[in-house]
Amino acid sequence: MRPLTEEETKVMFEKLSKYIGDNIKLLVDRPDGSYCFRLHNERVYYMSEKILKLATNISRDKLVSVGTCFGKFTKSIKFRLHITALDFLAPYAKFKVWVKPGQEQSFLYGNHVLKSGLGRITENTMQYQGVVVYSMTDVPLGFGVAAKTTQECRRVDPMSIVVFHQADVGEFIRNEDTLT
Amino acid sequence: MQRLYVGGLSHTITQKDLKDRFGKFGQVEDVELRTRKDDEGVPYKTFSYININITDADLKKCMTVLNKSKWKGGTLQIEMAKESFLHSKAGVENFTMKAAVPGTEVPGHEDWVVSKFGRVLPVLQLKCQKGSRARTLKYDPSKYSHNIRKLDRPSADQSASDLPTPVSQLTWELQGGDDDISKKRRGEFPAYEPPKRKKSQTDAVNSLKAEGKPRLKQSVDSVALTEAPQVTNGHKPPSTVRPAQMKGPPLTLSDIDSDDEIHRIVAVQSSSHNALQQEEDEDKLEVVGLDYLVTPGRARQQQKGGDEEENDYDSADTDELLASRKPPPPRSSSPPPQERATLTAGNISGNNTDRKRKTKKKSKAGEEDSTDAEEPSAQKRRDAGKLSSRKQSKKMKVLPVVKPSSSESESDDEEEEEECESADSSSDSDYEAMFSNVTRLEISLADLQKLAEEFQDTSETTAPSSLSVSEQKTKPPKKGTTPEEILAALMEDDSSEEKEEQQPKKKKKKRKADATTQLLPAFKGTKALNEGSETEEGQKEEEEGEGTEVKKLKVDHKATSSKMNGQKHTETESSEDEEEEPKKKEAVVKNMAEKAESVSSSSSDEEEEEEEEDEEDEEDNKGKVFKTMAKKAQKGSSSSSDEDEEEEEVPKANQTVLTSKAAAASSSSSSSEEDKDEILPAKDAVKAAPPPAPHSESSSSEEEEEEEKQAPLRVPLGAKEEEERQRKANIRRLAAVQQRQKETEENKKLIQGALANLDAPAAGAGKHIVFGSDDDDDEEADSDDEQQTTSEIKTPKKTLFQDSQSENEAPGHKNTSTKEKLSGTHLFGSSEEEEDADEEEDGSRFDIRPEFEGRAGHKLMELQSRFGKDERFKMDSRFLEQNEDKEAESEKKKSGTEEEEALEEERKKSLSILQSVLGISQHTSSSSKATSKAKTFRDVSALHYDPSREEHAAFETKTEETKKESKAARRKKREEAQKLPEVSTEIYYDVSGDMKAVFAEKEEASGFKFSFFGDDAETGSGETAEYKIESIQAPKLQQADRGSQLRQEYRKKHKDARRKLKTSVKS
Repeated sequence: MRPLTEEETKVMFEKLSKYIGDNIKLLVDRPDGSYCFRLHNERVYYMSEKILKLATNISRDKLVSVGTCFGKFTKSIKFRLHITALDFLAPYAKFKVWVKPGQEQSFLYGNHVLKSGLGRITENTMQYQGVVVYSMTDVPLGFGVAAKTTQECRRVDPMSIVVFHQADVGEFIRNEDTLT
Repeated sequence: MQRLYVGGLSHTITQKDLKDRFGKFGQVEDVELRTRKDDEGVPYKTFSYININITDADLKKCMTVLNKSKWKGGTLQIEMAKESFLHSKAGVENFTMKAAVPGTEVPGHEDWVVSKFGRVLPVLQLKCQKGSRARTLKYDPSKYSHNIRKLDRPSADQSASDLPTPVSQLTWELQGGDDDISKKRRGEFPAYEPPKRKKSQTDAVNSLKAEGKPRLKQSVDSVALTEAPQVTNGHKPPSTVRPAQMKGPPLTLSDIDSDDEIHRIVAVQSSSHNALQQEEDEDKLEVVGLDYLVTPGRARQQQKGGDEEENDYDSADTDELLASRKPPPPRSSSPPPQERATLTAGNISGNNTDRKRKTKKKSKAGEEDSTDAEEPSAQKRRDAGKLSSRKQSKKMKVLPVVKPSSSESESDDEEEEEECESADSSSDSDYEAMFSNVTRLEISLADLQKLAEEFQDTSETTAPSSLSVSEQKTKPPKKGTTPEEILAALMEDDSSEEKEEQQPKKKKKKRKADATTQLLPAFKGTKALNEGSETEEGQKEEEEGEGTEVKKLKVDHKATSSKMNGQKHTETESSEDEEEEPKKKEAVVKNMAEKAESVSSSSSDEEEEEEEEDEEDEEDNKGKVFKTMAKKAQKGSSSSSDEDEEEEEVPKANQTVLTSKAAAASSSSSSSEEDKDEILPAKDAVKAAPPPAPHSESSSSEEEEEEEKQAPLRVPLGAKEEEERQRKANIRRLAAVQQRQKETEENKKLIQGALANLDAPAAGAGKHIVFGSDDDDDEEADSDDEQQTTSEIKTPKKTLFQDSQSENEAPGHKNTSTKEKLSGTHLFGSSEEEEDADEEEDGSRFDIRPEFEGRAGHKLMELQSRFGKDERFKMDSRFLEQNEDKEAESEKKKSGTEEEEALEEERKKSLSILQSVLGISQHTSSSSKATSKAKTFRDVSALHYDPSREEHAAFETKTEETKKESKAARRKKREEAQKLPEVSTEIYYDVSGDMKAVFAEKEEASGFKFSFFGDDAETGSGETAEYKIESIQAPKLQQADRGSQLRQEYRKKHKDARRKLKTSVKS
């Protein structure tokens, strides 16, 4: 477990900023204590200072997970967000998409969000903007990338994809073994 | 006439040639000559069709002569012509003509055209009666094969009212029954009813009922209306509820072509009706601003509202749905006081599994149907029970109505009863309202399971009873599981009959006395419950909780003092006892309860006893015997002498039937039949019963209790078998009771002695005894947990005892029980006192000694513990190294600060990276940690200016001073600005034409070194002075002069140029 290098931090922040924009600041600079990102097993964990200290008692090879896993770095040093980061993305998300109850399940099974299942969307959403997907009851279900702008979403036919699926809470079950 | 094909003709042949040639054989009517040409127009094939009137003989002759004959350079080939393309390949088969373009006329048939999909359809001549004149309208299906609108295109002369109704507004009639679905298909929806407040429950119900009839009427009326003849091709225009749709003129439905279309239209309309709102919602794509707040709670509320609405629709059908949806209230048990005890049992069973709930519900529904004719009150109660059960099952939804705490509902039974009755309205909204007042049982599945387990165990141990149980299992869970059902069973003979079928043994009893029959269902319920919950992870707490509730119920019942109540109380008690007995480890609490029952002489029990007495009186004075029996059974006295009594007791214990009921049964029966049947259960009962005595004896030690229990069980069994007469039984019983008392006394003494021994060393040695005291504490804790009674407990046993005394009816046995009570009380009292003392000492023991307090103390303790408290190596505070601690602490602090610094740096770094990523300046960066720590919540509105605080100086406004200063500054600035001379950017060069002078000066300067400084200074000052003067004024003049000069020069040049031009032109 080690702190992120500058490059890694940059890559990760760039990715995060697609979803929560400058709200990353709130993650880094928290009033309720100091929190930090740590890299372990190619994965980025977000934890408080206290937990960080506690984690030092565990050897590196035995440590499975600390704090909250935000995602992992691919071999090509790209950052991939995991669904476990949803807890921190959802409250700070700039752009949101609400999915109708009928398509909740479809989304939770890993499918893209179609126009027919789109219940609500934040205005001025740009194409390929990272969005957090909510159910109509405002329960965060996952996140993805807007395939169409808000304006386009009004016009497109019902079966066209509006949001590309990236992660959903169904992964907690589907990928239970790999999620840490 | 034959049609011949002639091939192999030369390209130059003509029709006349052919005619002449074939004219020999017959009359040629028509010659059709065809030539095939390639791309370049060169003919390569010529053939012809010839229609010729020819006889077969001539045809043969012709073929033989001309076929394969050479003619004009070609070899003739004559064949019978095949049918033409149209005839051969586009023939009409089964009213379809394939490979034909829509619109082609079918050859040979007038007014038949090929339409869509090759269908051959007739061209219709429609007569249209418009006002006075009639006209025919030709309808060619092929021309309308691709669009729907074909008729009645609005012409100029048609008025607006004549315009055809659009397809979406077409009306129709659906024939169907009066059921809900068909009604909804017709567009008739039950009127929406907003959820009513609970106080208006009855009103709501009435209104619902009242509305039900009109609705039916409506539908009937509509049917009648539809019967009124209208045009149409077989379809009657519907009488829809909504008049708006009717406005359109009745259609000549000729434009509805096929059933398919009609179906489609119907579907569209129905969907539009049903999902009108839905569609709207779906079609709308909501776009939300960036500041949209996500509030999960709100959405849920909305959903809730929706559900309510749904619920309000047809109440009867949705009841079950609701049940499945709605979350069970944390505590449910509002039913009338009588039912409570049973209800608790029912609730427990109900919670076992969702499946069970469903089945129960179904069974309930069935019961309702069957027992509709029964007493209203019973129904009401049942409904209430259902409601409660439903609510339990519905965990998912939050009930809109605020549910008061359970304590409220428990307090007043009468009110609850009334509410329940009023609530018999089956509307769901009423349910909710009802339940708001109702207390809810909070029992986890695990608890239920454990209960069931225990019960099962007991039942299994008793072989005979288990058999009966198994028989009953077939239907079990449904009946009697819920309090309402039990009530129903009690109230209704019909239901009892069913139960009788299930339980053959019980039938006999039922025949003898209705009361007994009524009791049976309840028993079933409990059994079913137990059976249903097979998992063994029971929780004692629940049982205890039930017990307490039951006790409370009993108290309530005292007030009512009705027969039924009394019976139920006894039932509940017995059931509790049964449940409690199996659990030996829970024992403490249960034992207490049992003790209370056995001791029954306690003052609190007197009232209950009185009730029982009343009941007994009513029951032909046999109740007394019964009471004694019950007491004995509960006490575990195992008085096997009285068969009747034993029999009665047994059913009680096994079935959790009311003791009073048992008494009634015994009174009514008092016959040998019962004895036979009941002997088996009696054994069970005896087994179950024994615990109380042991409890009283060994409140502290569980093992002893168990042993004792086993012992009494054996004795009663033998007695039962041997003795048949009551007298003997009584005698034996008395003897047994006395023996019991003796045993208990002995045990007590033993225990006391043991306790005393325990106490003595404990007090003296101090810490060694802690373990013993710990055990006690553990027991206490356990008992506390089990009881859930909370606060009352000082010493666990004592509290238990008190609770049991106060709450338990404990069959008030007058004769034997009193003695036992005395002994029991004495026993307990003594033990309690001792224990109290022990506890106090123990408590003092646990106080932390002053030398072990604090961090240093902790370290000292560790040091001491290192040597196992060996006296030789006693460590005291001198061994503590103060410095080490401080150093360690300081080191820790240092490391901590270092870490913090590192973290801080990292954070700064990441912030800077973030800044670079976002391209936004983050001004917070450096101060972050300090500020973050300093950040505390400030209520701006509560901020007050305090002049005494320096910090608040920032809030003071110093406008005047600043203004003055600023004014002064401005003036100064202005003055300065005005004073500043305007300096021209041009440099003044005074060039003298005489270079000699310049060089001469230089030479002079170089020559006169001495005076150089002086001269230089003088000259410099003079120059600067000159320069200053000139620089202020001269440059402006110069500029002005220059501008004027330039202009003049320009004009001159211009004039010159003109002159030159003029002159040149002239020349």
